Amino acid sequence: MKYFIFSLLLITAAAQGTQALIEFKSPEQQALFKELTHELRCPKCQNQNIADSNAVVAVDMRAKTLELVQQGQNKEQVLDYMKSRYGDFVHYQPPLNKFTLILWLLPALMVCGLIVLLLVRRRAERSLVLPESSEKTQPQPLEQQLDQLIEQYRRKS
Amino acid sequence: MRKLAFFIPFVLFIALSVFLFSGLFSNPMERESSVINQPLPAFALPDLQQPEKIWTPDSVKGKPYLLNVWGTWCVTCNAELAYLTELREQGVMIVGLYYQQPVDAAFGEVFNLSALQQEVALKLEQQGNPYQWNILDKDRTLIFDLGVTGAPETFLIDAQGIIRYHHIGDINPQVWQQKLAAAYQSLQE
Repeated sequence: MKYFIFSLLLITAAAQGTQALIEFKSPEQQALFKELTHELRCPKCQNQNIADSNAVVAVDMRAKTLELVQQGQNKEQVLDYMKSRYGDFVHYQPPLNKFTLILWLLPALMVCGLIVLLLVRRRAERSLVLPESSEKTQPQPLEQQLDQLIEQYRRKS
Repeated sequence: MRKLAFFIPFVLFIALSVFLFSGLFSNPMERESSVINQPLPAFALPDLQQPEKIWTPDSVKGKPYLLNVWGTWCVTCNAELAYLTELREQGVMIVGLYYQQPVDAAFGEVFNLSALQQEVALKLEQQGNPYQWNILDKDRTLIFDLGVTGAPETFLIDAQGIIRYHHIGDINPQVWQQKLAAAYQSLQE
């Protein structure tokens, strides 16, 4: 716990200075703040969460997250607050909607496609094997066939 | 069937190439803004040069205008001042929303309004002044509510105070012609 508070100090002290040590009313709020700052994405820096970034907008989002958490708002409420300003982009877990549907569908479609492909192949293999075995005539032993071929070529040459 | 199967990897390769190639020209900063077609968020912020004057969303209704987020610390904002001034001369109404960076108390920084006023006045004198007035958002509250990620950013606000366009980045002749001019003209009518 000591280490966590200390690490928060490192993260925020560098950027804000005024906020030396964050005090939480409960360990739950502390955990929620940590979770949110790791799941919220800095809109300026493309691929950093707001716990990681010192861009002005990330500093402001961190401060706002802390304020809302300390007001007792739950995770959904804080996320909605951020999304209503910075869009779905700001959360690292995109919601399921018409734009992101393909992310969920693609893996399932690929698995289905693979299964279909396997079935088709197996059927094709079976149809190749079946006609041969249905013929009652005994195939010549391979050795005999080879001998014949060798004979043919010897005569030619 | 066999021949078709032969082409599948080829088709997949072409599709992947097209996808990756188009990615080369896409702008990762471009994304949907969540404030479009919504009224300006509520605010009551002071004028930068006359702090006793308070601006609210209702102060500017009746005419479409550009709300330009900028700061003297921002290099790109300085670069667009000249063109914005040109736009002002053409009759476009532009209001500045001053983006004040956080002061770092740990380094002994304090917010000094009169120093900022002088700095802004000097900058606008040198580079051209496109702004009817500047709103000072010291704690970046309106900037946060507008979903501003940095400076410069520009919003097109219609006569009813509804946000119609959100542009991230600078405004230059090309951007104005391609993205904002038509929208601005349509709001004029």
